[in-house]
Amino acid sequence: MSEAVEAAVAVPAILAEVKPAVLPRAVLVENNRSFAWISDKICGIIEGPTPRWWWICFGVASFIASFTVAGLIYLVGTGVGVWGHRSPINWGWPIVNFVFWIGIGHAGTLISAILCLLRQKWRTSINRAAEAMTIFAVVCAGIFPLFHVGRVWFAWYLFPLPNSNGIWQNFRSPLEWDVFAVSTYGTVSVLFWYVGMIPDLGLLRDRFTAAGKRVRAFLYGLFAMGWRGSNRHWSNYEMAYLILAGIATPLVLSVHTIVSFDFAVSLIPGWHTTIFPPYFVAGAIYSGFGMVLTLVLPLRAVFKLEDLITQHHIDNMCKIALATGSMVGYAYMMEFFIAWYGANPNEGFTFINRAFGPYAWAYWTMVTCNVIVPQFFWFKGVRRNIAFVWILSLLVNVGMWMERFVIICTSLTRDFLPSSWGYLSPTVVDIFTFFGTFGVFGTLFLLFIRFLPMMPMAEIKAVTPQADAHHGHH
Amino acid sequence: MTSRLSIPGSAAAAGSPAPNAGVALGVGLAGTALTAAGFFVSDPRRVALSWLVAVGYWTMIVVAMLMLVLIHHIFDASWGVIIRRQYEHWLAALKWLFLLFLPLLAISAYLRPGLIWLWMNPGSLLPGTHETVGEDILYFKKAGYLNVGFFTLRLVLFFGIWIWLAYVVRRNSFRQDADGDLKWTRSNRCWAAAGLPLSGFAITFASIDWFKSLDYHWFSTIYGVYFFATGMRGALAIGVLLMLWLHRRGDYRGILNRNHLHSIGQLMLTFTVFWAYIAFSQYFLIWNANVPEETFYFNLREYGDWYWVGMSLLFLYFAFPFCYLLSYRHKVEPHWARFIAWWILVMLFVDICFNTLPAARDAAGHPHPFFSLLMGWHFTALAGVGGICVWAYLRSFSTTKLLPIRDPRIAECLSYQEASAE
Repeated sequence: MSEAVEAAVAVPAILAEVKPAVLPRAVLVENNRSFAWISDKICGIIEGPTPRWWWICFGVASFIASFTVAGLIYLVGTGVGVWGHRSPINWGWPIVNFVFWIGIGHAGTLISAILCLLRQKWRTSINRAAEAMTIFAVVCAGIFPLFHVGRVWFAWYLFPLPNSNGIWQNFRSPLEWDVFAVSTYGTVSVLFWYVGMIPDLGLLRDRFTAAGKRVRAFLYGLFAMGWRGSNRHWSNYEMAYLILAGIATPLVLSVHTIVSFDFAVSLIPGWHTTIFPPYFVAGAIYSGFGMVLTLVLPLRAVFKLEDLITQHHIDNMCKIALATGSMVGYAYMMEFFIAWYGANPNEGFTFINRAFGPYAWAYWTMVTCNVIVPQFFWFKGVRRNIAFVWILSLLVNVGMWMERFVIICTSLTRDFLPSSWGYLSPTVVDIFTFFGTFGVFGTLFLLFIRFLPMMPMAEIKAVTPQADAHHGHH
Repeated sequence: MTSRLSIPGSAAAAGSPAPNAGVALGVGLAGTALTAAGFFVSDPRRVALSWLVAVGYWTMIVVAMLMLVLIHHIFDASWGVIIRRQYEHWLAALKWLFLLFLPLLAISAYLRPGLIWLWMNPGSLLPGTHETVGEDILYFKKAGYLNVGFFTLRLVLFFGIWIWLAYVVRRNSFRQDADGDLKWTRSNRCWAAAGLPLSGFAITFASIDWFKSLDYHWFSTIYGVYFFATGMRGALAIGVLLMLWLHRRGDYRGILNRNHLHSIGQLMLTFTVFWAYIAFSQYFLIWNANVPEETFYFNLREYGDWYWVGMSLLFLYFAFPFCYLLSYRHKVEPHWARFIAWWILVMLFVDICFNTLPAARDAAGHPHPFFSLLMGWHFTALAGVGGICVWAYLRSFSTTKLLPIRDPRIAECLSYQEASAE
């Protein structure tokens, strides 16, 4: 059958009856802001003097980061035994922290890549900060397995490089897959972040050049890679961005799938369950949106970005947290139900033990934070109470850390042999090292908002009415 | 530019008369009667399973259509308005599907206890053993869930949820045609928010009850998601076929454009990948752990010609549609899009068979072969249930406007372009 495009088509009779009810879509930039206002607003954050609060926060964050540095120096100097894991809990806090931070990163890629493919224009105001969050979260995540190998200077053994002993990695281990997945994910995330920033770096170069600040103009110009905003540049840029979005989407899903395989390929009760891959992905997106809200809401208030990060954006983020939190709740329920339905006594015991054993406090904290807390987002009144949303977002972070703790500790501390049961207590080094990663993350994020455009100006301008050639007159 | 589709040679003018639903009803009744006759003249268990496959196939598709309608409402999407009305018409089939399911329950619970679901009869012999269900410790452990009373209650609850949601979204949508009141849109959004988790739970436990409990020893936490994924593929494929059918009839001329087909084609690609992801997760984790209490399920499905059925799912239900749908042309050109939609519907049928039929086993505990003369009952059953579903659709089709003409997003939908897509 041949198929052609008609130049003119007779108007069907039903079209004469079409009379849509009026329901305007939410605007993505409030108060009809101009292109110039958007540029001034975002660039102004970088161009202006460093605020005092920034220095205070930077000092605090750096100080907290020193906890990780100190913890790691002590660990390298002494041995991995300074962490609290020991038989039967050979994976303690480090793997919990690794999965927690990797999960945080997922929302960044979801916002930048998946929402891009889904053509969700509201992503524009938050995607840059979320992508930065992804990269810094991957940095924090990488610390734990890297140092968990013990002799960190041999960490390169993780890569399949020829070495003097001809030793090859265990390619059947999902931990080895993690090495490839996370390193690829980190690389693509950086590329995606950087490519998306090029037009904005070009703008900053031009503004610093106009202001006569030659050093900064040179540096931003260097990274803008000769961006001139020509049609050809935009065409190549859009295509590169789309391809990277296409690559990043399966990548982000595969990363947390492989993280879930770390547990699910085993025979440990509570770990070996088929729903783990999508359940982990949903949990990662949930935790990531929690962290995006935690970061973006204060930035919105401090830099007075209400016109760019509107209530509509906050609503959408809350709704995604509600949806993914509920998916996580579905997974909890299915795990429990199938543990009973499967009639395997070890599985059954594990889940009873989770809910009523020595870690019941952690389990119920997890359920509260991950299943009950997001249910608040059903209510418009809650979503409009920014302070309350922020508090809830903190609880999301708590809940998702607790989830990994519950999965790992309840299954390992009480497995098949009661004679080897134990209870995991973290050491001071465990706590300090993890606590310090928030400082590492905070330090990097503060540097980001100080020196790089925290919002994609070019993309935001593209979703304003002014960018429409018809300007509302279709 | 929004490119309108044109198919030279399609003679029908815009606003064609309503299609004859009587033919569909005739096919449905004939298929049903033939299958019912087959129950008495052929192997009753395998004929009954054919009916379960057919009812399950159409139910999963129609429930996925319901979920697509709810998803369109909750996402406030504009492009989907063009196909939403057709899905709404399909939802009229749910009450008939409920009625068509009842013979399965009546047979397995009362007329020939344990014929379909072994656990419904404590005297049923477990395949390949001398043990009965009543002596099986695993059944005792699950009896609180797997008993006829609770099964019936759940069946009513599942269909009750789906039929109620279908009633509400149809009523709201049809009423809006008359008065254009936004309250119908708002009501549908609220019901969509509540209905999606409810439908999700219903489809999960329905798949456990109807399919997983055929082999009640086996368990998998991802099973409900699997059926959601495969049902969505079927619903989207029928969506494409409906769009092209209405265009060929002339109803959608000047209405449907390439971007609508592109969007639904992209969703087909997405759910092809999603289905593969879920199927892989389930298979891989069970294969890798290699625990006999789980692997027996797949071992059965590697016996005889079932191995090739499994391979066909891998290559013909995932790999081929995935590669095919990567192409823009294959998504937007009618003959290409029509082909893959039919392909997916055929393979979806194979998928449901793969999940269902190996439960019927011979005395040695081996599943009966997939390819046999008894396959004929699959086709009579499929035509029987499908004919009645199509009849329900066509009957509803002629009662309302072709499009939701007062929907707040209808104008965006009609001028839908990728660049302006929300």
